[in-house]
Amino acid sequence: MLVSWKWLQDYVALKMSPAELAERLAMAGLNHEDSRPLGDDLQIDLEVTSNRPDCLGHIGVAREVAVLWQTGLCVPTPQPAVTGPAVSGLTKVAIECPGLCYRYTARVLQGVQIGPSPPWLVDRLATIGIPTINNVVDVTNYVMMECGQPLHAFDFARLAGPEIIVREARPGELFQAINHKSYPLEAGMCVIADAQRAVALGGVMGGADTEVAESTRDVLIEAADFAPLSIRTTARKLVLHSPSSYRFERGVDPRGIDWASRRCCELILQLAGGQLAEGVVSVGQGIPVREPIVLRLSQLPRIIGIEIPADEVRRILAALGCQDTARDTRSLTVVPPSWRRDLSREIDLIEEVARVYGYDRIPEDVGVPMAPSHRSDEDRVLGKVRQVLLCAGFDEAITTSVVPEELVAVFSPWTDAPALHTSTPMLKGADRLRKSLIPSLLEVRRVNESLGNPVIELFETARVYLPAADGLPHEQRTLAIVSGGDYHRVKGVVEGLLATLRPGTRLEAVDTRQPLLDPLKSSELRIQGQCLGYLGELSVEGWKQTGLRAGATIAEIRLSDLVGLADLIPKYAEQSPYPVIDRDLNLIVDESVRWAALEATVQQSAGECLESLGYQETYRDPKKDGAGKKRLLFSITLRSGERTLTNEEADLIRQQVVDACKRDHGAVLLGGS
Amino acid sequence: MALADFVKQLDELAAQAVQAFGSAANAEALEAARVEFLGAKQGRLKAAQKGMGEIDKTDRPAAGKRFNEVKEQIEAAFKAASERAASAPAAAKKSEPQFDPTVPGTAIRLGRLHPITQTIEELKDIMGRLGFSVADGPEVEDEWHNFEALNIPREHPARDPLDNFYLAAAGKTSGAGAALLRSQTSTVQIRVMEKTPPPIRIICLGRVYRPDTADATHYPMFHQMEGLLIDTRVTMADLKSVLRLFAASYLGRDVNIRFRPSFFPFTEPSVEADFHWDGQWIEFGGAGMVDPNVLQAVGYDPEKVVGFAFGLGIERLCMRRHGITDIREFYKNDVRFLHQF
Repeated sequence: MLVSWKWLQDYVALKMSPAELAERLAMAGLNHEDSRPLGDDLQIDLEVTSNRPDCLGHIGVAREVAVLWQTGLCVPTPQPAVTGPAVSGLTKVAIECPGLCYRYTARVLQGVQIGPSPPWLVDRLATIGIPTINNVVDVTNYVMMECGQPLHAFDFARLAGPEIIVREARPGELFQAINHKSYPLEAGMCVIADAQRAVALGGVMGGADTEVAESTRDVLIEAADFAPLSIRTTARKLVLHSPSSYRFERGVDPRGIDWASRRCCELILQLAGGQLAEGVVSVGQGIPVREPIVLRLSQLPRIIGIEIPADEVRRILAALGCQDTARDTRSLTVVPPSWRRDLSREIDLIEEVARVYGYDRIPEDVGVPMAPSHRSDEDRVLGKVRQVLLCAGFDEAITTSVVPEELVAVFSPWTDAPALHTSTPMLKGADRLRKSLIPSLLEVRRVNESLGNPVIELFETARVYLPAADGLPHEQRTLAIVSGGDYHRVKGVVEGLLATLRPGTRLEAVDTRQPLLDPLKSSELRIQGQCLGYLGELSVEGWKQTGLRAGATIAEIRLSDLVGLADLIPKYAEQSPYPVIDRDLNLIVDESVRWAALEATVQQSAGECLESLGYQETYRDPKKDGAGKKRLLFSITLRSGERTLTNEEADLIRQQVVDACKRDHGAVLLGGS
Repeated sequence: MALADFVKQLDELAAQAVQAFGSAANAEALEAARVEFLGAKQGRLKAAQKGMGEIDKTDRPAAGKRFNEVKEQIEAAFKAASERAASAPAAAKKSEPQFDPTVPGTAIRLGRLHPITQTIEELKDIMGRLGFSVADGPEVEDEWHNFEALNIPREHPARDPLDNFYLAAAGKTSGAGAALLRSQTSTVQIRVMEKTPPPIRIICLGRVYRPDTADATHYPMFHQMEGLLIDTRVTMADLKSVLRLFAASYLGRDVNIRFRPSFFPFTEPSVEADFHWDGQWIEFGGAGMVDPNVLQAVGYDPEKVVGFAFGLGIERLCMRRHGITDIREFYKNDVRFLHQF
């Protein structure tokens, strides 16, 4: 809202400096954006929040000044001289869409002399950036900027017939606006029509056909009230925003409509002459009756935290225009003014009193009581997960939740259901709620490759959105890893995570088939048979499909499972004081024998003295061992909790292991028999 | 000879000697340097001492003092060099491999947390110390939690389909209206209050979504922190004090807080909170007393409980702290960017 420093003084004395004015208004709710001198005036730009349309006119701003500086407010009383015939004989108004137009008033002036506006009016409009057209149009703009009520003047002679019809637009109806552009209208839009066509888009813009021009002799002055929601939708659909639509969207003062109409006629008579027809044609709803509001004085300290003297409370409310209807020692009852539709409850009055009294009087050093705060298990587990990944050299990425359709299809291990989509895309082409983080991370990897970054190790923890049969989707907390390393590098990281959260957790790798992944080098990860996530190297087609220059390994894990698994308060267990004995083994087995199977046999056969089993490597020597064979090298660490183990006992256990592996897997001890 | 020349000569000698002892690679080289500078007969220090005879008598005490200082300095440098030589392993001969402590250490690659996460963690930490626990809620919300319960009625401009990411038809939910990506973390307030009796002291941090065209200062997805305190006796003074404690903790120095009136549907009174920093007021975020309609919507009695809420944008905070000028950097995830923080 642009305000003129000089104009404001029509209504209130400005004894303060412009800087002081701007500062105090900002502290009371009208943020100061900017001020700049224009001619001998000052243009002040104030930000008006959407709940305060009363400040979209100079009188409203002047009222704020009067309240804050405890000074008088002088609002003119328009008294246009009536010399013409009864208006009811000249025009009629019918509202066919009471849901779109609440009230419509019309006055008629005959024999006006269209010409340029006098300098004072030109200057005032120039200060607030409104171009001047002619005296009649300028007056309608002036009065709007004075009181916040938009007005429109029609060239009465150019209306087809004397009657104004306020109706809903017909679908496909074309409307030529004052800006000489043509707009196709839709149902739900409100038009002002004559007997033949729409002559204005109600509350948004006038029409080209009936605009006031040099030849105009008679004018019809419209002052009305339109439904805010319809005005907003119309202006937005047509991308046709005007100072008028801006004000109707926020709501106008129902009592101010007639004031504005009379004020407008008064100024036209003054500047353009002519005769004002007697009376007003006014149709639609009456002025809503405002209910009184009770303000309990005890509520002020309860909400604001400070006491405000009752006299001060009364003064502020009265200055704001509230009518005092009753009071006792503990409360007062007021009826709010018609221009403050935002005041309907006690809390609204509390806010008014507080902001005018001054938020700077509220202390900022009261003793807020202490309270315990708990860090959730999920948060603690997430902290540990991040720690492990950072130490393993992974950088955290944050990518958007909504992705293009082609990315969704790339990888979706958690569900086959089609992704949910938003009705407007978030970024170019991105309208699917992702079901996996992997495609986004692969895309980040691709971008980093193109930037020439040598090491690209990434993880993200975020939600994926799995459609549910009914209601909101299941938002699964998920951890995704994308690495330039191989399968075992990433598997090691996952194992490291598990070891941190609960030492001794066995991770199972089960064959799986996933698009994008190499079928031989990808697994479903499980813990005690339960799926935890997926791990795998991209297949050659996979990395080409994703636009990568080289291969990569991915893992995606359900974080909630990690939370369930984590042992956040581990219990102490006594350590054996007896020495440890190691034995190395080197077993020749068929290629088809997997480590996990052999491992189970070793664990079973070694007995309770097996402290740990350490895989070392897989080695192949077809010349010595024959084709289709491999050697599995590992060590067993033995310790008793009760005594020192002898070498003989250790050898015996080792032999048990070798025998069991031979029996179950056909394993042959290298160099043994 | 003038005293000044003599002193200059001595200083040059000292510098050369220190340099020679320091760079002697082995015992032989060190011995050669010793003979050159400290040799009892032909040593250069000895030769310099002879120059003293040519000094003016009155300047002689000063010259002698300076000479002794330089002598001590050279002898100390020799002593240090010989100790170094003595402690070096016997095998460290010129021809054999030698340990080089100046080679860089074995590289470890440590990953970095995203700067947004770092900011979030710091905020959680500070608010945790002030007694606020972290609460969480869905990102895909129904209209009840995103609007209705927050005192944003159907005709409110904030509900315009063009200003929100509504889900297409399939995302309809039963009873609570259409589904949409939450436009604010305030939704979590409602979810927490619906299932928890007061008192409540929570914060919620997370992703929110608004259809903005991406540019240097806007992105259609960003992060917010929302705080909520509900109890029987809570006032705007408590709000101001908590925000002051929070700002002072974050900035590391006590600050003042200022309230400017504002408008949000879910708080009344509503304010913009600023903090005073380096001589100017800096916008901090929106705040206010929880609107009685919101308390009623979750089944609380506004006559019995009262509370405040505040919210702020994480990206803005993080950008200001680190001098980041383009919000899109956060979501590009250039590894070089991530490694700056």
